[in-house]
Amino acid sequence: MKYLLTLLTACLLILTGCDEQNRCYESVNTQIVITLKSSDFSIYHGLIIHGVDRNATGDTLVNDTLSSQSKRFTLPLSVSADSTGFVLTIANVKDTLYFHHQMSMQFISESCGFAPKYTIDGTSYHTGIDSVRILDPVVNTKSIEKNTNDQNVIIYFNPASH
Amino acid sequence: MIKTLSFILILLLISSVDISAQQQWRYEGPRIGFDLSRFLLPAFQSGSRHGWEIQGDIPYKGNWFPTAEIGMEWFDDKQQTFHYLSNGIYGRLGVDLNIAKFESLKDQDLLFVGIRYGYSHFNQEANNIIYSNYWGDVNSSLSRRPMSAHWGEIVFGMKGELFKNFFLGWTFRGKFPLVQTNDPNIKPYIIPGLGKTTGEIPFAFTFTASYRFPIFKTKTLPKPIKVGGAKHPGANREENSQYPSGGQYNMNQGR
Repeated sequence: MKYLLTLLTACLLILTGCDEQNRCYESVNTQIVITLKSSDFSIYHGLIIHGVDRNATGDTLVNDTLSSQSKRFTLPLSVSADSTGFVLTIANVKDTLYFHHQMSMQFISESCGFAPKYTIDGTSYHTGIDSVRILDPVVNTKSIEKNTNDQNVIIYFNPASH
Repeated sequence: MIKTLSFILILLLISSVDISAQQQWRYEGPRIGFDLSRFLLPAFQSGSRHGWEIQGDIPYKGNWFPTAEIGMEWFDDKQQTFHYLSNGIYGRLGVDLNIAKFESLKDQDLLFVGIRYGYSHFNQEANNIIYSNYWGDVNSSLSRRPMSAHWGEIVFGMKGELFKNFFLGWTFRGKFPLVQTNDPNIKPYIIPGLGKTTGEIPFAFTFTASYRFPIFKTKTLPKPIKVGGAKHPGANREENSQYPSGGQYNMNQGR
C-alpha cells in the first residue's frame, strides 16, 4: 500500500507525457532548385516561366523583371507524370525544357504527412538552351534549403538566339 | 461449558500458532502479469493503437529477476492526408535488480533497475496518400512491407504487493533503437514494443498487474544490494545480523 501514492504519481506522469504533437513543423514542399545562366556571362533581361499547357494568368511560376547574368529559382514537378515541362520566356523568346524523373512518396512525419521525392533521369530542351547540367538528381523537401550557391540543375542558354 | 471454552481456546491458540508460523515463511515464485497501460493507450494516441503484453519474471538469488515480456500491437492512424497501418509481434528479454532493502520476510515490495533487449517483427503500409501541388493532386499508396527492429531498454520501476501474491507496479522505460529494416519511403514512427520513434530517446511507461505463484518458501531474507564502495569492517555488523553467514539465499530451505 505504501506504493499507492507513487503509483498515482506515475499515472499523472503518463497523462502528461502522452501529449500529442499535432502541428507540422517540417516542409512538405518539394521543388527543384534551378540556376539559369547565360552561356557568355552577358546580362539578360526578364524571365517568365509557366508549365507546358498551363497558360492561364495564375499559372505563371516565375516572373522576374530584373536584369541579371544569373537567376536562381525553384519549380514544382509533376506528381502524376514521369516528365515535367516548362516554358521559359527570356527576353520575349520562348524555350521549352522537360525534366524526366521518377517519383515516390516519402513519409515526412505524422503531423505533416507525405511529400514526393524525385530522381531526375534526364532532360530535353529546344535549341535556345545550350546545355543543362544536373548537379544533384535527388529532389526532395530538403532541396529548397540548399545554399544560395547550390542547386539541383544549372541551365545555360544562348543569348544570341534571344 | 468449561470443556467447550477450553476447546475453543485451544483452537484459537493452534490457529494463532499456525498463523505466526506462516508469517515466518517468505514465499517466492514466478510472477505472471499483463500490462494495464495497453488499455489506456487508445485514449492518449492520435491513431488507434491497441495491443496486449504479458510479462513474467522469476526470482534468482533474492534480488535478481530474469524477465521475459511478449506482446502484440496494432496501429491504425487515419490522418487527413494519409492512412498508416502497422501491426506486429514483439518480445523483450532482460533482468531486473531490486535495489531496495526487504524490511521483513513478508516484505515483497521492489524498487528496481534493469535492462532489456527487444525485438519486433511487424508489417506496415500506407494508403490514401494525398498530395497536391501546381500540377494537380495525387492519391497513392505504399504496399504492405515486412519490417523488423532491435532495441535496448534501461528500465526503472516499482512493484508492490497490494494483496497476497497480487502485485501492481509501474516501469519507466528509456529506449534505444539499435537496428531496423530500412524502408526508403516510410521510416516507421511506431514500432510494436518500442513505441514512437520520433523522440530523440523514446520512452514509455508500463503498468503491470501480476500474480506470483508461491512455489518456493524460505526463512532467509535476501541480502540487500550494496550500493557504493566497501565500508569499514564491522560497520554493518548489527544491520547484517538478521542475514545468515555469507548472506546466501537458499530457495530450498524450509521446503
